[in-house]
Amino acid sequence: MADDKLDDKPDVARLVDEAAKAIGLAIAPEYRANVILNVERSLVIARPLLEIDLDDELTPGPVFQP
Amino acid sequence: MSDPLSKSATATEIAAAVRSGKVKAAAVIDATLKRIAASEPTINAFTDVVAERAIKRAAEIDAGSHRGPLIGVPFAVKNLFDIAGLPTRAGSKINIDGPKAARDGALVRKLEAAGAILVGGLNMGEYAYDFTGENVHYGPSRNPRDTTRMSGGSSGGSGAAVAAGEVPLALGSDTNGSIRVPSSLCGLFGLKPTYGRLSRAGSFPFVDAFDHLGPIARSTEDLALSFDAMQGWDADDPVCTDRPADPTSLRLMEGIDGLRIAIAGDYFAKGGEPEAFEAVATVAKALGATKTVVLPEAAAARAAAYVITAIEGAQLHLPRLKARPQDFDPDTRERFMAGALLPGSWYVKAQRFRRHYRANVLKVFDQADIVLAPATPCTAPKLGQVMMKLGGVDLPVRANLGLFTQPISFIGLPVVVAPLQRPGGLPIGVQIIAKPYNEQAALRVAAFLEKQGAASAPPA
Repeated sequence: MADDKLDDKPDVARLVDEAAKAIGLAIAPEYRANVILNVERSLVIARPLLEIDLDDELTPGPVFQP
Repeated sequence: MSDPLSKSATATEIAAAVRSGKVKAAAVIDATLKRIAASEPTINAFTDVVAERAIKRAAEIDAGSHRGPLIGVPFAVKNLFDIAGLPTRAGSKINIDGPKAARDGALVRKLEAAGAILVGGLNMGEYAYDFTGENVHYGPSRNPRDTTRMSGGSSGGSGAAVAAGEVPLALGSDTNGSIRVPSSLCGLFGLKPTYGRLSRAGSFPFVDAFDHLGPIARSTEDLALSFDAMQGWDADDPVCTDRPADPTSLRLMEGIDGLRIAIAGDYFAKGGEPEAFEAVATVAKALGATKTVVLPEAAAARAAAYVITAIEGAQLHLPRLKARPQDFDPDTRERFMAGALLPGSWYVKAQRFRRHYRANVLKVFDQADIVLAPATPCTAPKLGQVMMKLGGVDLPVRANLGLFTQPISFIGLPVVVAPLQRPGGLPIGVQIIAKPYNEQAALRVAAFLEKQGAASAPPA
């Protein structure tokens, strides 16, 4: 597994509050719960990507050619 | 052959009738505008109807000033395409306060150069971050097959307008499935070409890494005809290919002899409702396809597409999220905000994985020219539905209607959706996936299915 800490559940509410401050995004109280929910969903959906190991030589394609 | 003034008429039939003098373009536009006026209170596909412009252009065509393969064909475009003189809504309220487009988007100009007539801009999910066709600002576009249900998004108005018979041809955009999802839910043919094949100049972006434009229609002939008219390099879109155009119309009826057709297994054979897999089985049987192939690591591809979309989309809209959060659709706002907070390392890993996945999927095309997969995991959900059951698991509708489309657009493969009408039920589509720049093979397979009667897209 690429990231052996994936099973440690992060404090998503705190992450949202602090990361939003860091980028200057004011999240109104009525939006906050849904932002937290969406970050939690993102953690679940992103997991199959985070679990993959990639070779160091594998770089992104600067100009993507399908 | 349909009456060229009826809602059943295809673009090909209308162009033939106008070209031969059987009907005037003015009569086609008059009939089209009347159909739009009659349908809109129910369907809500259009946000802008450019009646005056369309009538003027039809008169010019009847006076002999324009020719082309799409002569006299009415069409409409998702409202993220620039339409000269209108603000480019992109499904938002915010953009209405922006500048009016100075000229039409590149593909609108190309279709009009081929003789077609723009009749309006179409409803869509806000900023294209949507699979439902719902929109809080303009109301949902409704599925003409069952108006209590979603049209699919984000090109929901494009699907609804064509399925309702308002227009024979519409353009949409597809970043993660936004042409293919409404094509499936509304029971239509749709083409998401190879990434970079068609110019995106003069359209409002969402995720540059994945944004594609393409047509939705009720026949494969119309897809091919419009696709051919829109091909060609464009300096205004840095992603647009300089490969020569590959006209598809003349080869459309060549059949499937010589094409190796396989069924996508593993990821694409689970996690959906039975009708999605039954549709693939029906199409495979009609094509005589029995071999199964695996697109390796498709789940990770879907995850990577999700990550790139969330982060690129959020970055694009961050200034608006800061300045006017109250003016966003609540169904996109908090997803965009969440995307702005995700780790940058995820984005870079997703982009690196994209190269890895592309290389492995291209190897699959050494064994097959065409791969079949479900377009959506289910038929059209109810409007307003938030959760759905897929494979026995409760999942959010918005994040999951594109389960089977995201791993394909992630690497820019061309796809035609072939719709299956299900008597007594709702339609559902099958993805016909080809290797890069081989749209003609996917279109030939779809045309074969249409000719056999396995796939069809009559108006509702």
